[in-house]
Amino acid sequence: MLKVTNLVKEYKDVTAVNNISFSVKPGKIFGLLGPNGAGKTTTIRTVLNIIKPTSGEITYNNKTIGQEFFNIIGYLPEERGLYKKSKVEDVLIYFAELKNLDKHTASGKIDEWLQRLNIIEYRNKKVEELSKGNQQKVQFISAVLHDPEILILDEPFSGFDPINQQQIRELISSFVDSGKYIILSTHQMETAEKMCSEIFLINKGKEVCSGELTEIKKRFSSNNIKLGFEGDAKFLSSDKRVLHYDHYNNYAEVQLNDDIKPSNFLKSIVDKLTITHFSVVEPTLNKIFIDVINQSSK
Amino acid sequence: MNKTLAIAKWEYLEKVKTKAFIISLIITPAIIILFSVVPTLLVSKEDNTTRMIGFLDKSGMYFNDLNTEISKHTLDNGQPLYVLVNLDQKELSEDEIKTKTDEATFKGKYDSFIYIKYGGTDSITIELRSKGIANFRDIGRFSDAFETVRISHRIQQDAIDPDIVEFFMRGVKINQIKIEEGGKEGKANFETVFFSSFIFILLLMMMVIYSGQMLVRSLLEEKSNRIIEILVSSCNPNELLAGKVFGLSALGLTQILIWMMIGIALAGSAVIPMEAFKNILPMLVYFILGFIFFTTLFVGIGSIVSTEQEAQQITSYLSIIMVIPVVIVFPAMQNPDSSLIKVLSYIPITTPSVMLLRLNIAPVPLWEIAATLGLLIVSTLITIKFSAKIFRIGILAYGKMPNIRELKSWLREK
Repeated sequence: MLKVTNLVKEYKDVTAVNNISFSVKPGKIFGLLGPNGAGKTTTIRTVLNIIKPTSGEITYNNKTIGQEFFNIIGYLPEERGLYKKSKVEDVLIYFAELKNLDKHTASGKIDEWLQRLNIIEYRNKKVEELSKGNQQKVQFISAVLHDPEILILDEPFSGFDPINQQQIRELISSFVDSGKYIILSTHQMETAEKMCSEIFLINKGKEVCSGELTEIKKRFSSNNIKLGFEGDAKFLSSDKRVLHYDHYNNYAEVQLNDDIKPSNFLKSIVDKLTITHFSVVEPTLNKIFIDVINQSSK
Repeated sequence: MNKTLAIAKWEYLEKVKTKAFIISLIITPAIIILFSVVPTLLVSKEDNTTRMIGFLDKSGMYFNDLNTEISKHTLDNGQPLYVLVNLDQKELSEDEIKTKTDEATFKGKYDSFIYIKYGGTDSITIELRSKGIANFRDIGRFSDAFETVRISHRIQQDAIDPDIVEFFMRGVKINQIKIEEGGKEGKANFETVFFSSFIFILLLMMMVIYSGQMLVRSLLEEKSNRIIEILVSSCNPNELLAGKVFGLSALGLTQILIWMMIGIALAGSAVIPMEAFKNILPMLVYFILGFIFFTTLFVGIGSIVSTEQEAQQITSYLSIIMVIPVVIVFPAMQNPDSSLIKVLSYIPITTPSVMLLRLNIAPVPLWEIAATLGLLIVSTLITIKFSAKIFRIGILAYGKMPNIRELKSWLREK
């Protein structure tokens, strides 16, 4: 298990990370979320052992992370960059050698990966001759080439078109199946919602919300329903069980009191209106994110 | 260590293949050749036509002898270089002839016009009148010729023994002989000392500046496209620093070796006296240590830049630091025993250059070699330590360059 305990990182006059703790379990995607400047990058860099924490500890299988962990970590930084004037193959071999892979093994794996991501024909091309999407693919390969146990992905989908995004998503899912430790840092809440089973929300260096995604959603669910109907629904706005009522063109959003079960509510109105649609609305991660961040920023 | 080697290999191979490297390999010697050969060609090229020189001397004392003397100068094809035309005409006055010849010279009939004015019996002024400014070689030849003619006239007049004249004319020459161990006479002279020391000092400077710039540039590229994050998540900063220093040093060495080979091929090994390599072993030690010292200094300071402009600023400051020893060493050659030179031997940035020079001028006591080397090694180690610390933080810092206070706090960071 990858465990971060009481991590603090102070710079001269700012505390970038203020006493956060979390643990990442194998075979699951851990979402590290937060607005710009929240402390995500600093957290990632301490986990990568690029910078040393002011205090706190990061352990992997009960051992403090150190230099020997360089070779089992794969990292895809948010801002992408490769040696533009060098050949795709050379760059990949170089990065693989830095992860202690020998040239021969690396070469075989590079072939496999380039084929898998349909860019084998660029093997001997210079990086600058590739399209942006294909450069991103090369970068992605460089992060996973040495088959790392821990994979840290910072905005892995930015710069990809929807088809490639799908391809990368499937790849990441396959890593989940093979039991890797995956930390995914992103702003895209829809992505996090689809992929992460556990999230950690950070703002101004502090934890603001964390836990299993389903559990968090339950915690923030506010008994909302979406209602499609024909007829006059004005009476709902004065109904005592309704906390909040929003009427749109074809449907309405209704927030019920916490003790009212949506199914009972449906039973009671089904005679008065012609219901065309009825669903219980879960709060989106996006909404939770905005609400929580706004609240903690106050 | 494996990773250091991988980094060194990458830096070397990727840079050696670049156009910039190949161009600098060719352009630099080409510029040196251009500056050293072309002016010589231009000057010597002037002597391929015979020059018409008008000659006016109302006394008639000089024409014949001077004509004999100056006709010693010939063109490559054996034709005379100068043809003197005696312009004296009994019926015209000196001023009339002068005015006429000036006009003719201006129109191009004569290349120049020599006019002798008498101020008294032995005092004469000679004017070389021409349309443009006269060639300094012409003036030199004529003034030599006049000198000779004038002296020989006086010898004849006073019937002086020519041997005595020759005795007066001969200068005294002092031969410099360096005494070496076992009472042997060394062959060291100014040129040997100059070549052996100065070539090394210059090579050191060029190599450091070249590799230093490459280093700063490669760091800047990696910083600006964030490759640095991948690198430092794969190896520790010290390995990265060492790899870069090794790789780019090898690159600088390659370049210098190729230039030396070009130089030797073009000019023959005669240019560099073999004497220059007598002290090669201690010289190499100073050279290599000096190189490592300066390169690590470059890396540490170079890691704090994040834009092209800053990189240029920093590299030019560092290049100036590199030039200081060269500037100091030139005057130092005049007086190698001065206490200033002794002091400079113990200041790390001048130690390599000054010691490279001292080793060739006079035997340096062993204890001094040991002391300066020790000091250089210690300061190199300190530089490596400091640079590594600055490097570790500098490579991840963006934006404004840190000021001295911030740098100090970086050094304190664990």
